Amino acid sequence: MTFAVVENWVEPPLRRFVDDARVLIALVLHPSGQVLAQSGFTRAVDVMSACALAAAIHASAGELGKMLEGRAFGGLHHAGRERQIFLAPVLTPRSTFLVLAVFDRESSLGLVQLYFNELSSGIAAAAPLPVEQAPVLANDFERELNRNLAALFGRA
Amino acid sequence: MSLVNYATREITCKIVYYGPGRSGKTTNLHYIYGQVPDDRKGKMVSLATQTDRTLFFDFLPLDLGNISGFTTKFQLYTVPGQVYYQTTRKLVLQGADGVVFVADSQARQLDENIESMQDLHANLAEHGIDARTVPLVIQYNKQDLPRELILSVDELDDALNFRGVPAFPADALHGPGVFETLRSVSELVLKRLSAGATAGAR
Repeated sequence: MTFAVVENWVEPPLRRFVDDARVLIALVLHPSGQVLAQSGFTRAVDVMSACALAAAIHASAGELGKMLEGRAFGGLHHAGRERQIFLAPVLTPRSTFLVLAVFDRESSLGLVQLYFNELSSGIAAAAPLPVEQAPVLANDFERELNRNLAALFGRA
Repeated sequence: MSLVNYATREITCKIVYYGPGRSGKTTNLHYIYGQVPDDRKGKMVSLATQTDRTLFFDFLPLDLGNISGFTTKFQLYTVPGQVYYQTTRKLVLQGADGVVFVADSQARQLDENIESMQDLHANLAEHGIDARTVPLVIQYNKQDLPRELILSVDELDDALNFRGVPAFPADALHGPGVFETLRSVSELVLKRLSAGATAGAR
């Protein structure tokens, strides 16, 4: 199983969730579409697309829920012919995060929901508070940026 | 909200192309998509209507390669420009690290440009983002149209660019100005990150 984390503290609870709930793909992301951890994807760019779409589904379903019920929906489930998706928010003191899980007949919605609750608790307990960002890039990063962009656009 | 992973040395940034309807936001992404090699981009996702008007957003993930020892990835989004998609624009703008405002250079579109710029500021404010400090680049698109139909860069600057941010004339359909715009906003976003603002560290 391919596993990658941007935020290390997400890894233990997500690994447990993937194993216990027997999901094919799992993503933990910020509602803005930024990925924190993923399991099941092989290409980073595919992860970004999945995150963008998951964030969009969550945002639009939330607004729809507010229109219909006066509050955002708590989660979303869609059953396809072969695969199903489950998307729900996790509230932590640091931020709200989203979890997207894709599963097939090896699992079930009930099982995913059961272990999602454990995952939520694990993420809420592990999420650190935001920290002040230290300077990241070297002072001359523009040279490398320009070189890479020129290469991307075939201008190198 | 840039994501920086010190362990794997990765940076991910979100850039949103904003502007009035039919100003050329999606065209910018299409041009970039057409230029970038397959192994450096993801699939371009377009949530559009049957007539190809953007309904929710367009999305293009790009791998910029190694910058200062960090694998740097950009997520390019567009918003739907039509006035009645206000809620959607606000949602897509969430967590943006930088904004490209794509203005339509046609003289008859000036009011729409101004209204969209005001809408951008209002939505940034609703997200708690100071519009005066967010990395912003303006692109004056459709500068290839006949002179009598469009405003000059100076005229557009007077109407839209009161912050004096970098601004580029462009013809997004054929490419001029697209690269320069992306390079400029990338630089502003990474400069801000380099200065240590707003990102989440791991």
